[in-house]
Amino acid sequence: MNLPNDHRTGHHDEADQAFVQHARELWQEAARRIDPTTAGQLRAARRRALDSARTPTSHATRWLIPTGALAMVALAALMVHEPAPQQLPVTPMNTAVVAVDADNDDNDLPPDAEQADPDLYQDLDFYGWLAANQNYMAAH
Amino acid sequence: MNSAVGTLEAGFLADTRELPTTLDAFLAQVEKRAFRMAELQLRQREDAMDAVQDAMLRLVKHYRDKPAAEWAPLFWGILRRRIVDLQRRRKVRSIVVGWFSGGRDGDGDDMPIWEPADQGPGPLERLHDVQSYADLAAAVGKLPRRQREAFMLRMLEGLDVAETAHAMGCSEGSVKTHLSRAVHHLRDQLEDWR
Repeated sequence: MNLPNDHRTGHHDEADQAFVQHARELWQEAARRIDPTTAGQLRAARRRALDSARTPTSHATRWLIPTGALAMVALAALMVHEPAPQQLPVTPMNTAVVAVDADNDDNDLPPDAEQADPDLYQDLDFYGWLAANQNYMAAH
Repeated sequence: MNSAVGTLEAGFLADTRELPTTLDAFLAQVEKRAFRMAELQLRQREDAMDAVQDAMLRLVKHYRDKPAAEWAPLFWGILRRRIVDLQRRRKVRSIVVGWFSGGRDGDGDDMPIWEPADQGPGPLERLHDVQSYADLAAAVGKLPRRQREAFMLRMLEGLDVAETAHAMGCSEGSVKTHLSRAVHHLRDQLEDWR
């Protein structure tokens, strides 16, 4: 060991040795005289540490958490990207269907009245009468 | 001092250098000294027990397949890092407590560093040479951290310089420097031992 500015003599070296040896003896004595409760806790801690190596986590358990997390992410992605209800393009046929549906609901106007064919409104009563008569004819 | 180191290498450090053949034997051999080392640095029994237990778990979990000759520096290195972690965590906790309390008591004086109360029996109560060990522990506790680690691992635990350097994560030259300063400071503080 190189002490900075070390002017020690052999006598001092012996004193250092004695000092370190005394410190070490005290240290070992302190370790030996640990109270029984603490010693028991240390033994238990050692057992737990060694048991953790003897009982490795099972293959299924090891994969359970990442697999579960992956499933959750996939489910969340599906919910976010779920397609919106499909809307039919606006055509006269479609507007008629919408009109009939609206009639069945006892509503005079289709739900998307602004996009419906304006001529439809003029013949709305006729279509209603026609539908009612067709139902009547079919019944008899 | 050089001759002192030579004597240590050849002589009384040898008794803890017996190589255990199983991890169980190794841990049984070092667990009490490890507890004393953690207790001396953390000054709190429960934290010391946590540090030792964590070091045991990590050694077994990560290094059980390593050669037995490497267990000692690995274990003491893990324990050293765990102690430093706990000391840092305690310091942060102290700062947070200081924030909430304003850092000053009713008289306007700075609050002491917060330390958890130790409810267990005093660590020195059962020692024969209580006062000498108390003096040593107090003097070692006052050393700067790196000097304290070097002294405890090299002189008290008996690791060689290379193993101490490995456990401390520094060069062998740094170990020697820290160690010489530590012994110098301790001898100055423990005048009564001469």
